[in-house]
Amino acid sequence: MIQFINASKVYPPDVKALDKINLHILPGEFVSVVGQSGTGKTTLIKSLICEEKIDEGQIIVGGWDITNIKKSEIPTLRRQIGVIFQDFKLLPKKTLQENVAFALQVCGQPPKKINAIVPQVLKIVGLENKINRYPHEVSGGEQQRAAIARALVHRPKILLADEPTGNLDSINADEIIELLLKINKFGTTVVLVTHNREIVNRLKKRVITIETGKVVSDQAVGKYIL
Amino acid sequence: MFIISFFRAIKFSIQDIFRNFWLSLVTVVILVLALFLINVLLSVQIITKSAINSIKEKIDINLYVKSDATENQIIALKTEISNLDKVKNATYISKAEALESFKDSHRNNPEILQALRELNKNPLNATIVIKPKNIEQYEELTNELDQINNDIIESKNFDNPKTMLAKINTITGKINEVGLAVSLIFVLVTILVVYNSIRVTIYTHQREIKVMRLVGATNWFIRAPFLISSVFYTLIGLSITMAIFYPFLTILQPYLEAFFAGYNFNILSYFNKNFLLIFGAEFVVAVAINMIASLIAVRKYTKI
Repeated sequence: MIQFINASKVYPPDVKALDKINLHILPGEFVSVVGQSGTGKTTLIKSLICEEKIDEGQIIVGGWDITNIKKSEIPTLRRQIGVIFQDFKLLPKKTLQENVAFALQVCGQPPKKINAIVPQVLKIVGLENKINRYPHEVSGGEQQRAAIARALVHRPKILLADEPTGNLDSINADEIIELLLKINKFGTTVVLVTHNREIVNRLKKRVITIETGKVVSDQAVGKYIL
Repeated sequence: MFIISFFRAIKFSIQDIFRNFWLSLVTVVILVLALFLINVLLSVQIITKSAINSIKEKIDINLYVKSDATENQIIALKTEISNLDKVKNATYISKAEALESFKDSHRNNPEILQALRELNKNPLNATIVIKPKNIEQYEELTNELDQINNDIIESKNFDNPKTMLAKINTITGKINEVGLAVSLIFVLVTILVVYNSIRVTIYTHQREIKVMRLVGATNWFIRAPFLISSVFYTLIGLSITMAIFYPFLTILQPYLEAFFAGYNFNILSYFNKNFLLIFGAEFVVAVAINMIASLIAVRKYTKI
């Protein structure tokens, strides 16, 4: 599903964010990517959605070589990958429902379809009673759920989660991880970038550890080893 | 799909205008101020030009005809003058008409009227009043008139306006130069202020634009609501400007009427007559500035 082949990225003047990374993530996997701050975890995610371009190597997503993707094709790629972030990245002037609907509106889906899908997805993440609230009117956990709903609304094959629990208390964090596991059960490949040792150890899933841009460990059923 | 996206862009634009009410208000207020001042400047130009034209209109040449000249001789002379290239029209004022006009203009002066009565005859000469086609050719015209040798001409008066004409031409030239310079500076300042205000508006949307990109919005899907908003801002701004400017002109008109007494000038009807040209051009230019500013600002944040 996701392949990094000798992928390298250097930020000027000489910070190696990715250093000849080789990774292969299979369809339906739940993978945790761990490592200290500044080791290249976020660059890994950003390069998958073409927010950053790698300097060397190759990236293949779902059989599509996106290494030298055209600018005009980037929106199409992003509509096929769900992404959630530590700071939720919701549109502040849109309600939760409008935020989720926006992801479908950008690809020109008809209103009928949007009106049918959005409430369903919001129900899956447990926000059916708060659809008309603005992001600042709900808790951090609820904002992250809305972000997950937005990421899922396309029915993506891949869900990238960059520190999704970083801004949440432990109860909300657990709920978000449960939600990610549920999504994974439906067949979506989940890549979770996290610092949270407890969560990683509890998951008992594949763990990839990155240090100074290099993969230093890749365990099928791993633990947070740093 | 295009139509759905187009209507969505309009919907997002309207939502955005209302949900960012204060920002929208500031943008519209800046537009209104700029447009209002541009219209004031335009009015000043129109009034100045009209004032100069009204003075120029009043410049004419009088040929006084000897009192023993026959009607036929005078008509022949008038026709000869009318046929000159540089003459707009020539009007024949008979002795009787001249007397009537004189009495009328001095009706409040009993001493003059009394003196006239005591004279017991009409002391005024018949006159041919000549209006030049182009005031700039005044001197050439007087030369041509000088060459007319007709015994019935008693005197010609065309010395006096020369100095006045020279002064008017100097003033006109200066007004045009200063007016152009002030207009250019003003238009430039307006463009910069409006451009900056639109950029600030979009700067505050920076985060939103980034989020839109992340969920797969194309650049045009992001830009379109901003472009549509700039059309709305301009429409609203121009409507408010007109709503303020017309009453302003109505208040101004009586003062102008007093100033231009005897000369048919109405600033309101001037704006009505040229409504589409003035406000249409302002709309097109304002939309263009807004759109260019929006495109540049959005482009900055939609770079991948």
